[in-house]
Amino acid sequence: MKEEKVKKILLYAGAIFLFIFCIAPFVWMVIVSLNKHPDFLSNNVPFILTINNYIQVLTTKSVHLLDYLRNSIIISLAAAFFATFFASLSAYSITRMNFPGKIFIPIALLGFSMFPQISIVGYLFKMMTDFNWINTYYALIFPYITLGLPLALWIMLSHFSQLSKELDEAALVDGASRFQILRKIIFPIALPGAFSTFMLIFIYSFNEFLFALMFTIDYKARTIPVGIALFEGLYGQIPWGYIMAAAVVAIIPVILLIALFQKYIIQGLTEGAVKG
Amino acid sequence: MARSRKKYSSGQTWQAYIFNSPLILITLIFVFLPVAGTLITGFFRNVTFMPNKFIFLENFYRLFGDVHFWQSVRFTLLFVFVSVGLELVLGMMFALILNEAFPGRGLMRVAILIPWAIPVAISARIWQLMYNFDFGVINYIVIHLGFVSSPVNWLGSPVGAFFSIVISDIWKTTPFITIILLAGLSLIPDELYKQAMIDGTNFIQRFYYITIPLLRPVIVVALLFRTIDAIRIFDLIYVLTGGGPGGSTSSISLYAFKYYITGDFGYGSAISIVVFILASALAVLYIKFGNFAGELK
Amino acid sequence: MKARIILILTVLLISISGIHCSKSEKDFTIWIGGAPEEVDFWAKLVSEFNKQTGYNLQLIRQPTYTDQRRQELVISLEAKQPDPDMFLMDVVWINQFIKSNWLEPLDKYVTKSNFNTDVFFQKVLNSVDRYRNKLYALPVFMDVGLLYYRKDLLNKFGYNGPPKTWSELVNESLKIQKAERKDDPNFYGYVWQGAQYEGLVCNFLEFIASNGDSIMKDGKIDLNTPQNEKALQLMTDLIHKYKISPLNTYTEMKEEETRRAFQRGDALFERNWTYAWNLAQDNDSPVKGKIGLTVLPHFDDNQSVSTLGGWHIGISRFSDEKEKAWKFIQFVSSYEVQKSLVLNVGWNPARKDVYNDKEVIAKLPTVKILYDALQHTAARPTLPYYSQVSDVIQRYVNDCLAGKINPKEALEKMQKEEDELVKIYGTK
Repeated sequence: MKEEKVKKILLYAGAIFLFIFCIAPFVWMVIVSLNKHPDFLSNNVPFILTINNYIQVLTTKSVHLLDYLRNSIIISLAAAFFATFFASLSAYSITRMNFPGKIFIPIALLGFSMFPQISIVGYLFKMMTDFNWINTYYALIFPYITLGLPLALWIMLSHFSQLSKELDEAALVDGASRFQILRKIIFPIALPGAFSTFMLIFIYSFNEFLFALMFTIDYKARTIPVGIALFEGLYGQIPWGYIMAAAVVAIIPVILLIALFQKYIIQGLTEGAVKG
Repeated sequence: MARSRKKYSSGQTWQAYIFNSPLILITLIFVFLPVAGTLITGFFRNVTFMPNKFIFLENFYRLFGDVHFWQSVRFTLLFVFVSVGLELVLGMMFALILNEAFPGRGLMRVAILIPWAIPVAISARIWQLMYNFDFGVINYIVIHLGFVSSPVNWLGSPVGAFFSIVISDIWKTTPFITIILLAGLSLIPDELYKQAMIDGTNFIQRFYYITIPLLRPVIVVALLFRTIDAIRIFDLIYVLTGGGPGGSTSSISLYAFKYYITGDFGYGSAISIVVFILASALAVLYIKFGNFAGELK
Repeated sequence: MKARIILILTVLLISISGIHCSKSEKDFTIWIGGAPEEVDFWAKLVSEFNKQTGYNLQLIRQPTYTDQRRQELVISLEAKQPDPDMFLMDVVWINQFIKSNWLEPLDKYVTKSNFNTDVFFQKVLNSVDRYRNKLYALPVFMDVGLLYYRKDLLNKFGYNGPPKTWSELVNESLKIQKAERKDDPNFYGYVWQGAQYEGLVCNFLEFIASNGDSIMKDGKIDLNTPQNEKALQLMTDLIHKYKISPLNTYTEMKEEETRRAFQRGDALFERNWTYAWNLAQDNDSPVKGKIGLTVLPHFDDNQSVSTLGGWHIGISRFSDEKEKAWKFIQFVSSYEVQKSLVLNVGWNPARKDVYNDKEVIAKLPTVKILYDALQHTAARPTLPYYSQVSDVIQRYVNDCLAGKINPKEALEKMQKEEDELVKIYGTK
């Protein structure tokens, strides 16, 4: 009995600690974003609530906050879509067909996923310059698709391998082509897995920093992590109030995603790691 | 290339290649080619204000004698060791907690996803604000709780900066490990614990003899991912300290980056290749060790 | 049905991405950074230019500090971007930019518009902006390091004028700091830039040059001398022995930090560039009317020296609006605009003739000091790999200031690394 009680107390204490641990910085971010003086913890600095930071940051054109947000969303959507699509095609063919070198592909991709970005970014920068893609969406979409493929492939592989091959075989006998099978039979069933993949790649692309830092120059293609990281004073001292307000705006899409689709996200993560 | 057990028609193979072509093509162009390109660039003197010249291993010799490079290696390895170690411990604790049913567990699962899902660059700025020497909330709390008597220079001293980076990194990545471990925990059948309880073991014994062994494969996978990830740490440090104070928190990736943006692509490439080799070596090590542990069972 | 939706979405996505790939919009941009007030002034200049010419030049704000400004520019130039069309360059970047082939040669524009380059300081033009007889940039304003001082406090304690030597500065600071600390515990004798960044090299150069030495001799980097050791020792002593400079000198003090400290009234002496004068004389400045400006102190039996700073303007070789960019350069080099630079922001004009302007002399009595300082400047090495050279100096000087190594060790290590740098980057 005693052990039960001790365990329960530890459990609740641990849970509360975990919750605070995760949420505290965000709470702080919101508090500072709503304050006139970000240094209100110093002596003699008043604590004044205001939404001026948000207004400034959303309406000052030279801040380009909404531009960054738009760029990030479009780029991430495109990357997630294509990564999921290409990975599904590959996963389907690997689980359903036999061809030379098919074991190679997942292993090679797993290997590639371990490449540190810094090892690629230098030469990729030169390539992007030659393609004349610097400061355009293409410069980020293609690398992001590539970054997402390994994870996407592993998740879709695990999904497809669980789907019974009989379905395929029956349809084949009936004279359907591979593409039709994929579209009409497999795709509807695999949708949840594909959706998890899509979510995960969206998040990873949205958060990417190094490539975005080097391949974009201004509001035309710059993404929001870079925008916020480089948000410098319009006024000398770092304008923390503005930065926090911008940060709140920046993470709204991601928070929404998690709130709505956390089941899929967690599923995707565990699938990629545990069953892989 | 005879594979007698598999039979395939050329039509099927042709189709398979079509299905795989986008993935293969993109990976070749945007991963394989750049890595090869970076390696080759490392053999050249590639500086914006000098003509390119093939210098073979000179960049690597320079690297070998570069004090600051080794400092960044030491920092990176230390960071990986401390950070991943702490994450594992914390992640394990949190996974055990979340494994129990309690009210609000669903809310908790959303809560722990948030640090992981937010761009590092953004959360780094929040931490930068919290670590601020004059008006940061961390100093405020630490002083008012009586842990220290004067403000701590979190970001301006080498030791402080190291721990600031570690703490911020743990905050972001522990949720990931927690989720993985949690999934692994859920696979352990309850009966094992029930039997052990009947046999009169206590919590710690159950943890040590049941949980850990059964979780081993999951732990290895989690460690593998996290270690590879931690080796290439860049975003957090770039925003939080910029590699300072005085280059003491410069990770290898940051060190390479510095050369890219001052125009010495050759040297930057050489450093990048070293990161690549390091990450690969670690991956191989893990896989070997992981298999070995699996065979022990 | 679902497939159709996906198809439409895909096409939509690709087309939206495509919009941002077209480079039909020809932006005409100039990148400018610096202290907020400086950038604001440039914004006014740009809109004046636009009014006069009908062009649509956009000013893109850059970060405040020089190292970050360079990083963004280098990425953009390495990527051969059409924007920015023009940018300001710190005098120490120009050599790298020229040798990296990033600047458009200006000679043909000069001859076409009969532009007179004689009005500029020829020494600067020839050593910085010209290379192999081609002109690549033009100075917009020069900058020198100066000593700001609290006239009122010096008078209060019976001193007739600002200190001429370092020992005088130290003694005056010790005495006045002790007294002022009773009311203001944050009061310091001398604030200067000691953080680990480019500004530290400027301060370092001023200290060693005021002792008769330099970074380069006969075209070679030669740092490890007893004179330099003495100068570096003084820098360290200011913080740790005499304690007239605050501890955060080597962790945080850059231009804006020292300016704010001095302007708040928390310092007796300040080393800063010319821009801080007008701000300190602003209506809401607590030290308005109480301050003076002069050349920096020197070691006994030596001369005052200022580090030569300043910003130059150039046209990107990849620009798509070079003709218009040249018009802006002419605009900025004109007598009127150069005059407004010194009157409004307090910079040293690049044009020699403005210094004799009656109105300028009347409104800004300190202009004579600016001119004098310009006659005694020390330049940082003109090397394409200057940023690496500077990095080495920054690191070891800062370590010395932090008390981690002593001056002799710092100079030795510095020299050793510089020698290696020369081997790597200094060959053909």
